[in-house]
Amino acid sequence: MDAYKLMKELRVNYEQEVFYLPKETGLVLIESSTRDESRISAKCRDVQVEDLWSLTSFFGYSTQTFVLAVNLLDRFLALMRIQPKHLSCVSLSCLHMAAKVTEEECDVTSSDELIRIGQARFTASDLCRMEKIVSEKLDFKSKPITALTFLQLYHQIALSHSMDRKETLSLEKLEAQLKACLCRISFSKAKPSVLALSLLRLQIIAVQSEDMLEIASHIQRHLKIADGELRLWSERVAQCLSDYASPECSKPNHRKLQWIVSRRTAQNLHASRSVPELPTIPEGGWGESESEDSCEDVMSSGEESLSSSLGSDAEGPYFPLHYRQQRDRGHLLA
Amino acid sequence: MVVQGDSSAPLQSRAMSSAATTSPSVDKVDGFSRKSVRKAKQKRSQSSSQFRSQGKPIELTPLPLLKDVPAPEQPELFLKKLQQCCTVFDFMDTLSDLKMKEYKRSTLNELVDYVTVSRGYLTEQAYPDVVKMVSHNIFRTLPPSDSNEFDPEEDEPTLEASWPHLQLVYEFFIRFLESQEFQPSIAKKYIDQKFVLQLLELFDSEDPRERDYLKTVLHRIYGKFLGLRAFIRKQINNIFLRFVYETEHFNGVAELLEILGSIINGFALPLKAEHKQFLVKVLIPLHTVRSLSLFHAQLAYCIVQFLEKDPTLTEPVIRGLLKFWPKTCSQKEVMFLGELEEILDVIEPTQFVKIQEPLFKQISRCVSSPHFQVAERALYYWNNEYIMSLIEENSSVILPIMFASLYRISKEHWNPAIVALVYNVLKAFMEMNSTLFDELTATYKSDRQREKKKEKEREELWKKLEDLELKRGLRSDGIIPT
Repeated sequence: MDAYKLMKELRVNYEQEVFYLPKETGLVLIESSTRDESRISAKCRDVQVEDLWSLTSFFGYSTQTFVLAVNLLDRFLALMRIQPKHLSCVSLSCLHMAAKVTEEECDVTSSDELIRIGQARFTASDLCRMEKIVSEKLDFKSKPITALTFLQLYHQIALSHSMDRKETLSLEKLEAQLKACLCRISFSKAKPSVLALSLLRLQIIAVQSEDMLEIASHIQRHLKIADGELRLWSERVAQCLSDYASPECSKPNHRKLQWIVSRRTAQNLHASRSVPELPTIPEGGWGESESEDSCEDVMSSGEESLSSSLGSDAEGPYFPLHYRQQRDRGHLLA
Repeated sequence: MVVQGDSSAPLQSRAMSSAATTSPSVDKVDGFSRKSVRKAKQKRSQSSSQFRSQGKPIELTPLPLLKDVPAPEQPELFLKKLQQCCTVFDFMDTLSDLKMKEYKRSTLNELVDYVTVSRGYLTEQAYPDVVKMVSHNIFRTLPPSDSNEFDPEEDEPTLEASWPHLQLVYEFFIRFLESQEFQPSIAKKYIDQKFVLQLLELFDSEDPRERDYLKTVLHRIYGKFLGLRAFIRKQINNIFLRFVYETEHFNGVAELLEILGSIINGFALPLKAEHKQFLVKVLIPLHTVRSLSLFHAQLAYCIVQFLEKDPTLTEPVIRGLLKFWPKTCSQKEVMFLGELEEILDVIEPTQFVKIQEPLFKQISRCVSSPHFQVAERALYYWNNEYIMSLIEENSSVILPIMFASLYRISKEHWNPAIVALVYNVLKAFMEMNSTLFDELTATYKSDRQREKKKEKEREELWKKLEDLELKRGLRSDGIIPT
């Protein structure tokens, strides 16, 4: 697609994106709510989105599916007040719906498998009902416009302007970064176009490309995005990305994962580590020199006798230490 | 007359009718029990090799009870009773000498009590007589195995027929050794290397009760006779080496290992070179034996004890296990995985770093094993907190090794439970190191796409060739050339 058409499409999407934004007041409400049994908190939502990311990755779904699922989830949560115990049902139905419209039919995982792997406590029919509810509330007919839409467009535009830069600006990397951002509810308040542009700019700055920076500014002017807004979100995105890329590993959260093993393995695991019944025999110091035993002459011939060869003259603590040690070393295993 | 089996050459007393490496057939491990297919076996539970020629019945003059005799006379009476108990009876003939057998049994019982509670009975003369009585009773040629195909895992062991007496003799001997009055300096004249050698041979007995007593006896002897310790260790080495490299037959491996466990536990630091040699040359090769399941728990305990004593041994131990990793026996693989987890439970982080690469390469193979128990056991490592902490610290090395097989089996494994466990593991990795995980996912995906593309191109090429062939064939005269 040539540059002109791309820019036009950009414009169209920009005008449409506002229809797919989650209600800001709803998001703020979630962010501000404290740990409470009856309300969803930001932390709840973030954890849920991380789980969605794991599942997306596990089932091999595309980034598009993930972004779409998060979009549906945020919009729904911003509209409806739901109880925390229903949150996993909502999020899995969003994922399932997103997969159905994005992925090929053969690649969509069945609801049963989704529930089993996601270690969820509801049934497939619950999932189905929830999907209907979400679909109705959000009037889900067409594919929403998300930050990914813009990211892909920006990427295309940037490439079309400078063909030799294909390698440096990686769409996959941008997508991964976008996923990282979406795991925090605060970024759902940003306009997708602005969020995507922030990501783009940050990567352009990282690869230090002057002409691409030009292109980014061009896009900004074309869409009439305010400087202040762009700067604000760029800062936040930069912060998030530095956490994401830090070499420090965060401790995985085991709390929820169920480890179900087969009966045989479970038996195996519970088999008690053999508690030793025999009391420990401490190794003696010098008293244990093998030369102390003076029964060598009792041994029948033909028997390989090691200690017996030492005889009785190596006995006793009065014997020079270095000589004893030599004897010790001479006693090797066959 | 009673004939005693006596041996001067070590460890050749068991009359083997054939080499030990016969059966067990492959279908016995890996889940299919031989019991389910074998025919009813004739029940023959007892055996003994103590026999005597048909002769006069044994007559023992009944002696008064020890408690009925005044204290000064007791030591002498004690010796007389010991002398009487040297007579051995034939238990294979269940009807002979019943009265005398009962007399000996009650005498032995009496002796056991006497040794336990008495004071001042242990004169110097008692020692040789005690040892003589014990030797007469227990030292014998063990009966040959009933069938060539005795499999310790499956079949019932053949029990010792003379157990009613034998048990009391062992009991008596143990209490004698443990008695407060026992003096090793006197006893060592009679409990010597020859005695110990014969004792060790008895460990090959099929009767587990006897082996249990022998274990206690040898343990006490090792504890009390410092001068015999090196000898005992050496003989045990010989037994094990013969077991591993020559016969693969010895019934007492578990018991000997249990004793060794208590010895290893008491090693002084720094460890002597002899002990380290033992670990590498004897204990590790013991893992290769087919009948590992019979003594694996004790063997693993020994290994872990060694590592707790000297952590620098970790690397040779793990490399040894990896070298001997079972390739065709899944039951053994599960055992190895269990042992490895026990080792990892006590490993030091610096040691872990040294062996993590070969270790996780093997774990990666286990995880993708089609045998679900192996895969499950390996995946369960990720439920171990300490192992997880080690993995976290080194995720940049470990994750690339594990990733490909984990990702692949999440799509391809036949067992749904395994797939669910893999999810747990992948999720843990994802949370540990997101950037690396994303990179690896991207690489994996692009690799797969490349492969798919090649596959497709290859198919199209074949199709084109087919079309070409047909076209060429039909062009001239409608006949397809062969």
